[in-house]
Amino acid sequence: MSTASLRAGFAAALIASTAFTTAAWADSLTMWVRASGTNAASTLVNLWNSTHADKIELTTIPDNQMVTKLATGVQAGEVPDLVSFDLIYMPDFMKAGFLTDLTADLKANKDYAGVAKAYVDIATYQGKLYGAGFTPDVSILVWNKDLFKKAGLDPEKPPKSVPEIHEDAKKIHALGADIYGFYFSGSCPGCNIFTTSPMMVASGSKMLPASGSDDALTGDGVKDVLEQFKEMWDEGLVPKSAQADNGSNFVALFKSGKIGIQGAGGFLISDLKHDVPDMNFGVTFLPGMKEGQVSAFVGGDVVAIPVGSKHVALAKSFVAWELSDEAQLEGLAKNNILPSRPALADNKYFAAEPRVVTTAKALAVGYVPWVYHFADMVNSDSSPWINMLQRAIFDGDVDGAIKEGREKMKAIAAE
Amino acid sequence: MKTMPSSPTVRRRRARRARNWQGWLFVGPALLFVGVFVLIPLGQLVAMSMTDRSLLGGGKFVGLENYEKIWNDVGFWRALAFTAEYTIVLTPILMGLGYAFALLTVDNTPLRRITRTIVFLPVVIGLGSSSLLWFWLFDERVGLLNKLLVDLGILSEPMVWFITAQRAFWAVVISITWKVVGFGMVLFIAGIQSINPEITEAAVVDGAGYWKRVWRILLPLSRRILLLTTLISAIGSMLAFDQFYIMTSGGPRGQTFTAVYWIYQNSFVSFKLGYGAALSIVLTLIILAFSATQIALTARSAGK
Repeated sequence: MSTASLRAGFAAALIASTAFTTAAWADSLTMWVRASGTNAASTLVNLWNSTHADKIELTTIPDNQMVTKLATGVQAGEVPDLVSFDLIYMPDFMKAGFLTDLTADLKANKDYAGVAKAYVDIATYQGKLYGAGFTPDVSILVWNKDLFKKAGLDPEKPPKSVPEIHEDAKKIHALGADIYGFYFSGSCPGCNIFTTSPMMVASGSKMLPASGSDDALTGDGVKDVLEQFKEMWDEGLVPKSAQADNGSNFVALFKSGKIGIQGAGGFLISDLKHDVPDMNFGVTFLPGMKEGQVSAFVGGDVVAIPVGSKHVALAKSFVAWELSDEAQLEGLAKNNILPSRPALADNKYFAAEPRVVTTAKALAVGYVPWVYHFADMVNSDSSPWINMLQRAIFDGDVDGAIKEGREKMKAIAAE
Repeated sequence: MKTMPSSPTVRRRRARRARNWQGWLFVGPALLFVGVFVLIPLGQLVAMSMTDRSLLGGGKFVGLENYEKIWNDVGFWRALAFTAEYTIVLTPILMGLGYAFALLTVDNTPLRRITRTIVFLPVVIGLGSSSLLWFWLFDERVGLLNKLLVDLGILSEPMVWFITAQRAFWAVVISITWKVVGFGMVLFIAGIQSINPEITEAAVVDGAGYWKRVWRILLPLSRRILLLTTLISAIGSMLAFDQFYIMTSGGPRGQTFTAVYWIYQNSFVSFKLGYGAALSIVLTLIILAFSATQIALTARSAGK
């Protein structure tokens, strides 16, 4: 064999071994995501996997099993490297010591400074940071422009206060017995904390107590908004079926074109464009009792690293990467998902759809309550939150409902 | 040296010991299964019920504190009363309808066999799937049931089924009856077919009509299977959860929480595993007491 052949063979072997060792050194991370966040999380994970040697394997966990799985996993020492879950569980998980401290890494990250304040607040415990906003969702007000036009209202002018919602709803209901001015899911605690509570917060109220000594349902906003809802219910401006709707028909009636105005989430924009492309609808911030007061519920998922992760350094680099322009724009915005940095709301992907820009900007005016036992206080089917709403709106006892709700929330917060 | 031959008593004792060992050997695997998958977890549950264990960790021993809390837990007693009401209403419906279907389809003609299959089919559908199906059948906007009732003129406009506790209750009862009645039917058919046909033939010869034969012969002779099926059905109803979780979400206003649903809420929504364990023990004891009473009554009536 000639020397040249030997050299060529040696060079080929060297190159091949480099590829082999690169593949051999590449790591595989595991990530759990709750079912309702899977689509959004997949956009980021797929982008990461296409641009990094270390791959992430995504596993979907049913929403109502995530807490149990993570809790038992941490206690058994069997956890994924990354986890994406509903941000309202952050206080409980941080207090229980389930999550890795990311303070130093996030504070050193220049992109983190631009993350919506609500995400920073929810991920902070005793001055330390334990997670980052991942796949946001936020609540907004939608209105049916076609119905507005038929009712003699300006289709380009959404209601700017809750009383104005009430007035517009009356005019829309006058169009017909099966056309309703307003909608809310009367038996869905999650839907209402998402869309009704921001109206109360915008009106100056504080919603939930962080401890037994903290106050709950403060200010006139809660009462004023509940009274408006009660009046709309009594006047028949809301369909009867809303009382029993546990969220299954949260947006179904709006999609059918029978509802003039309702609170919803950013997810509705692509839903409506896909399911009812002929509907003209608008998106605006959820208002308070007075014009100029606005708010939103900042929801969606945060990403965190469970204690016991076997690839902490790599997981931290993923968290840093997902806050970058590349991930936020090419992963999220390109797929019509909101970036967790509101400054990126005006981007080329959203330029063609100003309604998504409005939704992205709602992150900056939004709130998220920092409380323990959120599920018990709000999301549970027997929660003081949903009991208060139903007693106030359907039974008509607004003051009694607020008093009872306040007492029960404080009792839960004291546990 | 010659050994003395063993006496008959000794031989009988040895044979009995050998039979005992063989008996233990046969039941051993089943006992092991029960021990590992029932007794040990039950012991762990009792232990957990005496702690303040949360889903998020912790677990300090608190003695009988959880049981004292149960005494004052209005929500639990309300859920238990609702569960009892549901059991008392549903069980006779299932037994009555199940026996009626059994009488109708007990003969082995092709049409009756097809009818039996159709009635039994819903039994094999998962309870979750069945509940979801009926949830949408009852829907005010898109549900087929409302459409049928309006088209037949029974309703003037679609009804919102889950708006009151009473309507929600009956919606669940209807859905469970559809799903489960075939199970009782099959057991009752087996009971009726096990009766010696000469008895009914003799009754026919004596001039007994159909309903007399059912009342005086079939029902009394299928009493054991009737009581066993009632017991299984009642226990199933007392452990109801899926159908209410999916169809009513415990509403309206928490009026359709069952005992197991209440345990679920406390354990997995409020994270109180220790308290949930105590609730489970209390419910288990209540069901045990009920079952023991029923079995005792069955034994007494069999002895008459």
